[in-house]
Amino acid sequence: MAEAYITESMLDMFLYESGQNLEQLENLGIECDKSGELSEASVNEIFRIMHTLKGSSGIMMYNDITTCAHSLEDVFYYIRESKPKNIPVSDVVALVFDSCEFINGELDKIRDGGQPDGSSEALVKANKEFLERLKKNITDGGEKLPADTRKKAPEKFYIAPAVSSDTNHYHITIKYRSDTEMANVRAYTAAFSLKNAVADMYYIPEDIIADENTAEAILADGFHIYVSDKGSEEDVMRSINQGSGISNIEIERISAEEYLNGKQAGPGAGSGDILLPGEQEEPAAKKPAKKASKRSSKKAAEGDVILAPAEEKPVSVGEMAKKAEEQTAKPAAPASKAPMPTASKQTFISVNVSKMDEIMDLVGELVIAESVVVNNPDITGIGLELPNFQKASAQLRKIIGDLQDVVMGMRMLPLAPTFQKMNRIVFDVSIKLGKDIDLEIIGENTEVDKNIIEHISDPLMHLVRNSIDHGIETREERAKTTKSPRGKITLEARNEGGKVWIIVKDDGGGLNRDKILAKARANGLIGNRNEKELTDKEIYNFITLPGFSTKEQVTEYSGRGVGMDVVVQSIQDVGGSLEIDSTPGFGSTMTIKIPLTLAIMKGIVAKIGSASYVMPTGEINEFVTIEKKDLLVEPEGRESIIIRGECYPVIRLKEFYHLKEGYDDVELGTFIVVEYEGIKAAVFVDDLVSEQEIVVKPIPPYIKKIKGISGCTQLGDGSISLILDVGSILKGLE
Amino acid sequence: MVEENNIWTEDEDTQRDKYMTFTACGENYGISISCVNEIVGLSKIAEVPETASYVRGLINLRGKIIPVIDVRMRFGKEPLEYNDRTCVIVITVNKTVVGLIVDKIAEVCTVEQDQIVPPPTVVNNSGQTRFIYGIVRSEDEVTMLIDPARLISDEDQEALRNLA
Repeated sequence: MAEAYITESMLDMFLYESGQNLEQLENLGIECDKSGELSEASVNEIFRIMHTLKGSSGIMMYNDITTCAHSLEDVFYYIRESKPKNIPVSDVVALVFDSCEFINGELDKIRDGGQPDGSSEALVKANKEFLERLKKNITDGGEKLPADTRKKAPEKFYIAPAVSSDTNHYHITIKYRSDTEMANVRAYTAAFSLKNAVADMYYIPEDIIADENTAEAILADGFHIYVSDKGSEEDVMRSINQGSGISNIEIERISAEEYLNGKQAGPGAGSGDILLPGEQEEPAAKKPAKKASKRSSKKAAEGDVILAPAEEKPVSVGEMAKKAEEQTAKPAAPASKAPMPTASKQTFISVNVSKMDEIMDLVGELVIAESVVVNNPDITGIGLELPNFQKASAQLRKIIGDLQDVVMGMRMLPLAPTFQKMNRIVFDVSIKLGKDIDLEIIGENTEVDKNIIEHISDPLMHLVRNSIDHGIETREERAKTTKSPRGKITLEARNEGGKVWIIVKDDGGGLNRDKILAKARANGLIGNRNEKELTDKEIYNFITLPGFSTKEQVTEYSGRGVGMDVVVQSIQDVGGSLEIDSTPGFGSTMTIKIPLTLAIMKGIVAKIGSASYVMPTGEINEFVTIEKKDLLVEPEGRESIIIRGECYPVIRLKEFYHLKEGYDDVELGTFIVVEYEGIKAAVFVDDLVSEQEIVVKPIPPYIKKIKGISGCTQLGDGSISLILDVGSILKGLE
Repeated sequence: MVEENNIWTEDEDTQRDKYMTFTACGENYGISISCVNEIVGLSKIAEVPETASYVRGLINLRGKIIPVIDVRMRFGKEPLEYNDRTCVIVITVNKTVVGLIVDKIAEVCTVEQDQIVPPPTVVNNSGQTRFIYGIVRSEDEVTMLIDPARLISDEDQEALRNLA
């Protein structure tokens, strides 16, 4: 059931996002290593990335990535919360890099259509040990930890792919005649030929090329290759380049655990520790391999190919055996249930936004240049019939139009895939928390700039998770209320006044004002302000501060206070805002408002004097012209008009902006009736020009922020028009 | 007072000591060529309300929207009617792209460092001196070198900062 949620696009997105996060993580690591200290910002950032990775890999059910991220998150959680002194920075960075490398390796495997089946155990252990050490170090009274006493974290991590039920593991032993020269090179040839044919492999001794002495070891003990592949023994055997000098090749099936054990312990144990098959070991594997009794028909160079029974496993002595016990006690790596969709790496390319802007600008110019050419007075002025020219220019216009559509479309994506992801989260989290929750999705086809989608998906995930975890009550609590036993989360997107609103609404218990206040007080966030002065909204906003969580218990999903500050930060990165509203007992509503910065919108172009202004069509109700008698002037000078019995306050843009030009006589111009969040007003302009699709551009920062203007745009004729922000103009009325 | 070192930081040798000179209200001004992007004819200006009077508005520079300021008005003089000779010098200062409306572009000339003398320290009321960091005297005329950073900075804010 769960697999049905993992679609190809989700996989692509997961790979892409995780890749970006890891890149950032590595940069942070390098930065910390260079500066020799962990700044608060980087700790927060690393924590956030790990949190995100944990969450998204959890959705994709890549458990080892999740546990790895989780353990590192624990370390940084501790660092962030307790702010310990004398952190051995290089150790921390080493841990970060180890985890990075592991996850990257796993991602590569997924990318190639394989299974992310490496084990994060060693890393988790290292992270845990480090955390313990860190804690101890503090309780010991901040005794300085000399860098050289640091415990060597496992430096290497061997990634072992393809441990799944449909993958077979083999141990191949190649023996060479005792007079064979350069056995190491021959062994390498065999290993090399196999490398390309199988999913994964490793061999012992390890450094056969670099170390000539291994030739003797190979002659004495044989050359051991461990292979993991879906193919049968015959397939594997066929792939080996047998070469000369081989006296005997044996292949036997081994279990996944043994395969991994050998892989992790093998290289460290060295060639001498490897004993030959035939020595008995307890059958420790959880899934005993089937007896492989079939004889390979492939003829070896000399002698027989012997398929050893599975019970006879190769085993190393000492530590290796111990490790084997440890590891086999643990559950095996997640077995694949269905073949994963393969993600191709080329699906996404990330392009600098400034380049996209440049293309957009140029296309805009092209449109204007085209109209300049086609409507050039040299052609149109003389009244010539130019059928061929007309045809050609019509074609040109069409191509340019298409180009414009493509360029615009390149940036716009529907929110649907992002919303679909939330299905999975709701499904997963609600099951784990034992809550019955329905998710309603509204307006998922709302298109948003790709750049914004990238920034919005993480915060949205956090918000949804928070709603499930904190918002919706448990079954028992819910039963006590009159509400339906099933909780409901509504995810809605819509265009509102040139902004995109994404609303996460739950019908849970709402935010607990007193609890938030108490925590804010405990954390000293209130300062010297009188608590009674704080409005509900201000109090709710406390939850957006770093490290703020009223949930006592840290769960896998939320409750660490990582959520809200990150949510707000990501939203602010795209110039948006988050509004929190809550009704105790009836649930809370989180509204993300993303500005129109990059969005394309429809607008009405109106003229005042020689200047033109654009108003978003969505905020306009109607246009009216009135007679003088319909204008009411209050004694203080406030004006309003009456349309069909309703009274609207008048805003004269000419006065609002102290313009020199423009009509004063209400009968000459037009009123645009606008509405924003329930407030209505009539805006007086000289004339209406047209309705257009406009690309919103920011006002150059050199010009200071002007009230009521949210951006500017270029009209079809190349002239510039200012975009009015109806909301802020109306707010000035109150 | 002399801040030419700031201007020289990223210069290529070819641009060193080169100045673009222009006239505004009858005076000659020079601006370091390193910050000049291009010169364009004056296109239609979209006025922006509620800004300082010398900020004439926005122009469309090949799809890029940039603010333009009138150098005359920046110096506190009355504006002239714009005509065919009116040009916009597009400059980049501290990553801000701004167009300067000037009466007429004169030439690009080389000025050696030792030819530049600091402006008189006596503050007059013309409002010009705070933009000028050097004066170049040639045979029959005087060219004032403008510090573009000061030209586009908001002196009201600066004044406030100085008060504080």
